[in-house]
Amino acid sequence: MAYLATFFWGWLLAALLIGLAMGWISVVQHGEGVSRKLARWLALLAAILIALALGHIVPGRFGYWLDLFLIMFALYLAGCLVGSWLRDWVVSRSQPAR
Amino acid sequence: MHELFKWSRKWWPGVIPLVICWGIAAWTTTATVEADLAARSNAALKDTILDKRRIAVAGRDVTFAAEAFSEEGRQSAVASVEAVPGVRLVNNETRLVPEAKPFVWSAERDVVRVTLTGSAPLPSSKGKLLEAARNTLGSVEVADQMSLARGAPPRFDSAALLLLDQIGKLKDGKITLTDTKVNLSGMARELGGREAIAAALRNLPEGYSVAANDIKAPPYIFQAYKDPVAVTLTLTGNVPDNNAHAALVAAAERKFFSEKVVDNLKASLGAPSGFANAVVPALGALSRLSTGTLVVTDREVKLSGDAFYDAAANQIRAGLGRDFPQGWQYKADISVKPAASPVDATVCQQLFTELLSKARIRFESGKADISADSVGLLDRLTETALRCPNATIEIAGHTDSDGDESANQALSERRAEAVMDYLVKAGLPPTRFQAVGYGATQPLAGNDSEEGKAQNRRIDFVVK
Repeated sequence: MAYLATFFWGWLLAALLIGLAMGWISVVQHGEGVSRKLARWLALLAAILIALALGHIVPGRFGYWLDLFLIMFALYLAGCLVGSWLRDWVVSRSQPAR
Repeated sequence: MHELFKWSRKWWPGVIPLVICWGIAAWTTTATVEADLAARSNAALKDTILDKRRIAVAGRDVTFAAEAFSEEGRQSAVASVEAVPGVRLVNNETRLVPEAKPFVWSAERDVVRVTLTGSAPLPSSKGKLLEAARNTLGSVEVADQMSLARGAPPRFDSAALLLLDQIGKLKDGKITLTDTKVNLSGMARELGGREAIAAALRNLPEGYSVAANDIKAPPYIFQAYKDPVAVTLTLTGNVPDNNAHAALVAAAERKFFSEKVVDNLKASLGAPSGFANAVVPALGALSRLSTGTLVVTDREVKLSGDAFYDAAANQIRAGLGRDFPQGWQYKADISVKPAASPVDATVCQQLFTELLSKARIRFESGKADISADSVGLLDRLTETALRCPNATIEIAGHTDSDGDESANQALSERRAEAVMDYLVKAGLPPTRFQAVGYGATQPLAGNDSEEGKAQNRRIDFVVK
């Protein structure tokens, strides 16, 4: 992991920034998100992928691509989380002033 | 917390640029990652001794194939590749270098090249052997057909290096090291090469031994040619060392009293044992010939030429006596010189005097045994006696004044008789001779010096 982080910090930073932007937008976005049922399936898929990666089951280049995707995805989620929280904080601070 | 779930349901659109980003990252970085990991893995194995090393990287998985020289070496090599940062998995395809049993290494020399075959324990020792071979052999081509194997005996390198050194001393041949046993065959480059190799093999490392040494040497040749026209004895070929050289030339000068000794001998190692004991009597036989050639090749003595008379020819053909060493062969091709024309008694006396002025008949000190160095002279005296068949000859023995008078008298008589015996055995009638002893009564020179005494100890031939 440390090797990937030092080697591809540019790509990882990009994933984090995409996450921040998405998180920032999602707080004020209207409309339906992912349904509860689909979210469960997606969570299961993520768990399977993580298990495959940790178990070193996927060989060669595909294994490398899987690892890369999971790390970028994790950073994306982290970015989303921070972005949403920041937006929420900004929004809630401006409301009492109104 | 509830709000977090609410927000997260709307995070999915960002996955689309994320996936695009991931695709580009995967597309552009895979080759770089693979090259980087291959370089790091190779660097990690820099100090590890392996044969047939191959590293292939797919993604972050390294396929590592190699032959190691020990189990520990194999494990540590795999561990160092596993420890390279960024490597996810190591597909371990390493194995041990095959074990050679018995461990055979050999060096073979023919006319144009030296071929190294068999097993070497490590790449470094293989390199060392090749380099040593090139240094030892100079311009000779060195062909390497060695493979690597485990199971070499301890101190293999020093043993093999020592043997390589010996290959330089061979004209052709093969040296094989089977575990700790050495086999040698072939022909030494020069005289003494066989001995030099045998001497060097004594320095083999502990535990190594010579199973068979069949190195042959070029023939060891000694030649002597007695030329009656130039009145020379020419010695050519080899002698074992400078002492033997001096002794041999001294012996030749004693035996060949009238010939000039031309010495073209050179000292070389590799003489067969008993060389001096064979060559000195053979020179004695040559001194009995009027013209002749002596060729000593290894342990074979060939003598050819003309004897002065029949009985001498038979004696020479019969052999070289008890002193001739065991294991030596003697071949004589002796004919008899045509008899010289008869002369009258006066000329005979002149001839005797002339011969005896060049050399004296020698005896063992204080005894009446004729010295082996004097047979050549006695044969010439016999030949002369044969030329005047009607003359009666007094063989007169003389001594110096040392010692008891009666003992000197007796010794001079016995010595004169010994000479007469020789002539009778040569086929002359005993009636022609009178052996007389004069003791010290007729000195030729003063008895006060060693030189004078030596002149007084003599046998004279007096034609009556």
